[in-house]
Amino acid sequence: MKPEAGTHLPEEQQQLMRRATKLEWISIGYAACTITLVALVVGNSQAMRTAWVEDMLSVLPQVAFLTAGIYVRKSRRPTHPYGYHRTMSAGHLVAGVALLAIGALLAYEAISALVKVEHPTIGTMNLFGYTIWQGWLMIAIMTMLAIPAVILGQLKIKTAKPLNNKLLYADASMAKADWQTNVASIVGVGGIAFGLWWLDGVAALVISVGIVRDGWTNTRSATVDLLDRRATSYNGKDPHPLIPELEAQLRSFGWIKDCGIRARELGQVLHVEAFIVPVAVDLTMSQIHEVQAALEDTDWKAYDVVVTPVLELPDFFSQPREVKK
Amino acid sequence: MSQSHSRPRGAALIGMSLVLGLAGCSKAIPVDPEGTLDSVRNDTLRIGLSPNESLVEIKGSSYQGSEVQLAKDFAQSLGAKAEFIVGGEESLVKKLEEDQVDLVVGGISSKTPWSKKVGMTRPYTQIIDEKGKKEKLVLLVPPGENAFLGELEYFLDQTQEMP
Repeated sequence: MKPEAGTHLPEEQQQLMRRATKLEWISIGYAACTITLVALVVGNSQAMRTAWVEDMLSVLPQVAFLTAGIYVRKSRRPTHPYGYHRTMSAGHLVAGVALLAIGALLAYEAISALVKVEHPTIGTMNLFGYTIWQGWLMIAIMTMLAIPAVILGQLKIKTAKPLNNKLLYADASMAKADWQTNVASIVGVGGIAFGLWWLDGVAALVISVGIVRDGWTNTRSATVDLLDRRATSYNGKDPHPLIPELEAQLRSFGWIKDCGIRARELGQVLHVEAFIVPVAVDLTMSQIHEVQAALEDTDWKAYDVVVTPVLELPDFFSQPREVKK
Repeated sequence: MSQSHSRPRGAALIGMSLVLGLAGCSKAIPVDPEGTLDSVRNDTLRIGLSPNESLVEIKGSSYQGSEVQLAKDFAQSLGAKAEFIVGGEESLVKKLEEDQVDLVVGGISSKTPWSKKVGMTRPYTQIIDEKGKKEKLVLLVPPGENAFLGELEYFLDQTQEMP
């Protein structure tokens, strides 16, 4: 077994974790600014209100990541023999469900405003003695805020990949797509400007459908991981590329006749069980130890490796692949 | 994931932007969906009066008070003649929604729950109510008639001292 949790990450990954933590704090700070600025002009536009709520929701995965970040460092103990890695998955699930629920609520609001033919009212503001239509300010602020989130998202994606962190990757993808929310709210307010009141509701609906989609993707992926599905990579690639790599490692031992890897995700690391069928039955302790060490050395993600010698492989390895929907 | 949801959303955005582009060929912004400002200008401003001690006094067929005067002045600024409809707040709000009046005055506070149903101006002045509390006064307009609302708020900015 590898040493205590918290020290399980190689130096490079530890640095990346610190970088990711910093990026998440910056994101939260940025979101706080956005929420305040938009609050000043949010007014009666349904699209603006939806975009505003989305800004607030965007903090959820970041808070989940930072909270989980505190726990995953904890070392394992008799009551928590697998360590605390799964807090990442739990955080992922909470964020996903929240997005799903609030997205659905916003979609309902948008539809009901459209059905009730509610004409959004946007008045003026008195800025330095000039009477200025608030819609212009909304459009200006939403334009200004569109770019930084995308840049933050890009930076986060770059750290999420080498960290094999799904929560961070999901958060980054959402940030990268955030400009679309801004454009949609601008279109909504633009619609009001031209007297097309319904365009506001349609824009709000587009934004909320986006939130629901994000929520669904996250909830699904987090739930599937908690069900101990075969490990997949940070972007959902199945199987996790480490699995064939470990199998190849096993096959390089001449005395192993047959083998199979069962791996599940513990947050950003994998819990790996290697089943090996030796050529001869007189297997020694040192041989098993050698296999375990080889597997653990393959990659830092192979965190918790158990080697089980068997007479024949369990059937689930040989069962035909499920037909993918 | 980012790609999978950028496509449908992107298409929707392009579609909506096109609609905007087409609408852009019209005139001054913002536009009233129901054309209130255009129909009032040089015609008639239908003013809903909700009785209020000093702001809207109703004595027989004579209407007095500062808000009555304010509404008359606004009508004049649009070259429109003022037409008065007296009623309770609730019925006047309903008339606003049904496009039967263009403006409602009557000491309405900025915290009025009617703002969920109809449009409301920014507060144009502040008074002290019976309980000695400060209260900001607003006027009510039809919902979503943003050009008309903008015109009224401009008028208030020019003629009133905002608190």
